[in-house]
Amino acid sequence: MALRELSSLEKFLGLKKPNKYSTQGGKKVPVLQNNNGPALIGLVTIASHLVREAKRPELLGDRAERRAVVQQWLEHRVTRLDNCSKEEVKVILKDLNQYLEDKVYLAGNVFTLADILMYYGIHHIVMELAVQEKERYLNITRWFDHIQHYPGVRHHLPPVAVLRNRVYPSGHH
Amino acid sequence: MKLYITDGNPHCIKVLASLELNGVKCDIEAVSHEEKAVVHFSHPLFPVLLLPDGQHLFSPNSICQYLFDISGQKATDATNQWLEWEATNLQPAVLQSLHMVALQGKRVEAAAVMKEPLNWLEQSLSKKNTPFLAAEAVSVADVVLWAALYPLLSDSGFDAGELRSVRGWFERVGGLEACQTAAQRVLQGKGVEALKTFLQKQPATQTQRRDSPTN
Repeated sequence: MALRELSSLEKFLGLKKPNKYSTQGGKKVPVLQNNNGPALIGLVTIASHLVREAKRPELLGDRAERRAVVQQWLEHRVTRLDNCSKEEVKVILKDLNQYLEDKVYLAGNVFTLADILMYYGIHHIVMELAVQEKERYLNITRWFDHIQHYPGVRHHLPPVAVLRNRVYPSGHH
Repeated sequence: MKLYITDGNPHCIKVLASLELNGVKCDIEAVSHEEKAVVHFSHPLFPVLLLPDGQHLFSPNSICQYLFDISGQKATDATNQWLEWEATNLQPAVLQSLHMVALQGKRVEAAAVMKEPLNWLEQSLSKKNTPFLAAEAVSVADVVLWAALYPLLSDSGFDAGELRSVRGWFERVGGLEACQTAAQRVLQGKGVEALKTFLQKQPATQTQRRDSPTN
């Protein structure tokens, strides 16, 4: 799972040489063997490294405040969203929906790595939401649809039909 | 900028230490555990840092990283990796272990929970030839990991095992005045006892490890 995400991220970033990854432990934490130094371990660590390698630092935030918000959502992804129970999913969705009420992207009005990794991590959850649930979590569905249409992000994931009678009718890809 | 903290909250140690260490000027307000007005989340989250641009940070590690960032210490691969490991591996074990020590008096079981992450840290530190985790000088990684381990490793009844490298590093970081002050402010010299109220209010899901640790 994480490895496909990293490979999609590499494509999004336009990195020419695909990296070789392995995983570690029962949770299959991604490991990047780095020629120039010690191996890098962890999805957030590796993803941030790739972004810097691709010289796209703005995806990590263009100033300290934004960098912190981006990092916070990257951490949220790997600590709360990954491996969460069915009951926790509801809480996570409710909170995220509330948070996104007045925002276009997770870090406010600019697209960042936080949007990419949260989108990859939440995809399987959003895909299984019933129509009524998609309506209940309207801000998430709006954000999600926005990200899945962002050029070059979706890659390994199937598109999710969002809402009927909305700006993006299903099948519009 | 304003920092909201709660009494006896172990997550506040790292944030207060980072604040002090970087000499960042910031109002600090102690609020009660029940207050949740700061961030609109289902479970009240503390500490919370209100940023100059009006946004809130609710992740202790991101608050620490921010305080180092504005003081000129940017995140590196090494600091990111330690912070990610702390959040995904160490923190769940620490919370479960603190729960056992403070609320159930099970120090032996608590030590068993910590064995794996502490061994990993010991191995990593013993291979290094720098006094600190990510560099020659103290970094956000040292403060975050030290603060996470402080309530347990400073408890004389907690038998963490041999861990020579961990002990040496733990004392180096703990020797910093900023770290001492922060620990004293949160634990009030009462050790894990000071964390009881906080731990009782933790949702069960956050004190149980969800799955087996890595490595």
